[in-house]
Amino acid sequence: MNDTSDILTCTGLAIGHGKTVIMDRLNLSLAPGKILAIVGPSGCGKSTLMRALGGLDEPLGGKTTLMGVDLAAADGQQRQDILRQSGFLFQGAALFSSLTLRENIEMPMREFLKAPRKDIRQLAEYKLALVGLADAMDKLPSEISGGMAKRAGIARAMALDPAVIFLDEPSAGLDPLSSGRLDELILRLREAYGTTIILVSHEIPSILRTADFCVYLDPDTGTIGGYGPPKGFLQAGNSPKVHAFFTQARFD
Amino acid sequence: MSHAPTGLPFARTEVLADGTALVTIGGAWELNQPLPSIVIKGDRAKVVAEGLTDFDSSLPAWLYDNFKNIRQLDISTLPVRLQSLVQMAEKASSDHAQSDHAGLLETFGSWGVESGGSWARAFDHIGHTALGFLKMLVGRAKVNWGDFKLQLQTSGVDALPIVALLGFLTGLIMAYVGLIQLRQVGATVYVANLVSLAMTREMGALMTGIIACGRTSTAYASQLGSMNVSQETDALRALGINPIEYLALPRILAVTLMVPLLAVFATFIGIFGGMIVACAGDLSIEQYLTQAIRAISFKSFLVGFIKSIAFGFIAAWAGCYRGSVAKRSALGVGEAATSAAVLGITFIVIFDAIFAVIFNLFDL
Repeated sequence: MNDTSDILTCTGLAIGHGKTVIMDRLNLSLAPGKILAIVGPSGCGKSTLMRALGGLDEPLGGKTTLMGVDLAAADGQQRQDILRQSGFLFQGAALFSSLTLRENIEMPMREFLKAPRKDIRQLAEYKLALVGLADAMDKLPSEISGGMAKRAGIARAMALDPAVIFLDEPSAGLDPLSSGRLDELILRLREAYGTTIILVSHEIPSILRTADFCVYLDPDTGTIGGYGPPKGFLQAGNSPKVHAFFTQARFD
Repeated sequence: MSHAPTGLPFARTEVLADGTALVTIGGAWELNQPLPSIVIKGDRAKVVAEGLTDFDSSLPAWLYDNFKNIRQLDISTLPVRLQSLVQMAEKASSDHAQSDHAGLLETFGSWGVESGGSWARAFDHIGHTALGFLKMLVGRAKVNWGDFKLQLQTSGVDALPIVALLGFLTGLIMAYVGLIQLRQVGATVYVANLVSLAMTREMGALMTGIIACGRTSTAYASQLGSMNVSQETDALRALGINPIEYLALPRILAVTLMVPLLAVFATFIGIFGGMIVACAGDLSIEQYLTQAIRAISFKSFLVGFIKSIAFGFIAAWAGCYRGSVAKRSALGVGEAATSAAVLGITFIVIFDAIFAVIFNLFDL
C-alpha cells in the first residue's frame, strides 16, 4: 500500500508512554491532499499516534516518513523544517494565553517569514477571517468560547500554509452546528490548499463528512483493527468491531 | 502600484469609464515577499489576473485586506481556487479597527476607574477573609487543614536558612556602621544597645516580613493564579466551597503564625551577627551581652512581635489576594506574583510607619 508519492508513511510503528508499548505493528500511508481520521476507543493511543506521525514524539520503534523525510534518521534541523511545514491543533487548542488571537497567529509568521510587519498583520487577519473570527482578533483566549478557541487553533495551525495539518479532536465539545461548520472549513481548506489532514476524532458524523480514509486502533489486539474509507465501515463486513464502533452498536 | 515582469507579485490599478476600479494582479505570490500596495477609489472594483503564475495565502490575504470595504467586488475571472479562498474569509465588522485606540483622557479615566475597582476588590477580599476567619472560629468554614500544615512547613521551617542569613548580615552591618560612629565619641560599648534594640523593635520583624513577601507572597500569588487559570477556583465555587476560606485562610493563618517566630529567630541571629563584629573590634563577649540584655525590654520585644504578626498577615494576604484576582493567562500569573511582592512590601513599610506613630503615642 506504500507509494513513493505518499506524503506520509509508517511501517512497523510502535508507540507508547515511557517504555510501555500501547500500539505496535502500525503500517499506514497517505497520499497528498487526503484526509485521514484516526479513531478508536478512549485511551487507545490515537493522540499518541498522531504526535508520533507528526514528529512531535519519538516512537518506540518502526519508521515514519513525513514529506519524504525519515523522522527517526532526521537531524535536528531537518526535524525543525518538517515541523515548520506541519500544523498542529491540540486538544485544548493550546493558544498562548497572554497573546491576543491575532498575536497567536502572527507569532509563527514573525518567527519564520521575512515579510514586512504590515503583510504579516494582513495575513493573520485573513487566516482568522477564514475561520470566522474576524471580529474576535483582539480578544485573549480566556475571553472566547471553546469552539472559537478550536477555530483559532486551526488558524494558527495553518499560519504558514503547511502541507500537512494534524488536528486532535477538532470538533470535540462543539455543538452540532459549529461542528458542521468546522467540517466544512476542513474540507474547503483541503480543496483550496491541497492540504493533507490527519485528524483524531470520536465524532462519527464528522468523520463520515470529512475523511477519505479511516484507521481504527484496536486496544484488544494492540494494532490497527481496520483501515479504509469510513463509509465502508457502516456496512457489516470484515471488521465487525469497527462496524460496531461506527454504528455505535453493542459488540461482544 | 508596481509591475514586475520577472515573476515578483505585482498589482496595477486603472479606473474604467463607469468608475469601476480595475485591478490587474500577476506574478508569483509568496509569503516571504513584500506585497504591492494599491489605492482604490470608489466602492466598485474588478480584479483580473494577468500572468498569475503561482500563489499561496499571501494573495487571498492581500485581496481580503485591500477589498474588504469595497461594496461591489467582481473576482469572477480569477482562478476558482482563489475565488474560493477569498470568499471563505468572512468580512470583519466595520467598527473593528476603531476599538483599538484610546485617547489620553480616556486612558487616564480608565486607569482611575480601574484603580478604584482594584481597591474595592482588595477591601472585599479583606472583608471575606475576616468573615471566613469568624466562620472558622465557630466551625462553619471549610478550611483545607492539610494545606495549613504544608504551609507551616514551606513558609516557616523552609524559610529558616534565608532568614538566618539575612538576619545575621543585618546585625553585622548595623554593628559595623555603629562602631564607626560610636568610636568617634568613645562609646563603642553602646553598639550592643544599638544592634539589640534595632533588631528587636524594628529590623527583625521588617526583614522577616520582606522575606515573606519575596518568598511566600509570590508563591501564593502564582499558586492561586494558576488555579484561576485552570478553573480550579471555579470548581471549588461550584462545589459550594468558598475559595477564600478553603485556600486563602490556611495560608494566611500559617504565615501569620510563622512570621513572628521567624522574626524572633532573626532578632537573635541579628544580635549574634552584631556580636561578631563588636567582639572582633573593641568589645568582649561579656560586655556585649550585658549591654544587649540591658537594652532589650519586654516592651521593645512586644513592639517587634506585634509588628511581625501584622507583617505576616500582610505578606500572606497580598499573595492570596493578587492570586485570586489574577488574569487567566500565563502573563496574568506573572503579573500577580510581581504585584503581590510589591503590594506586600509597600504595605509593610506603610504599616511600619503607622506602628511607629501609634507606639510613640502609647509610649511603647
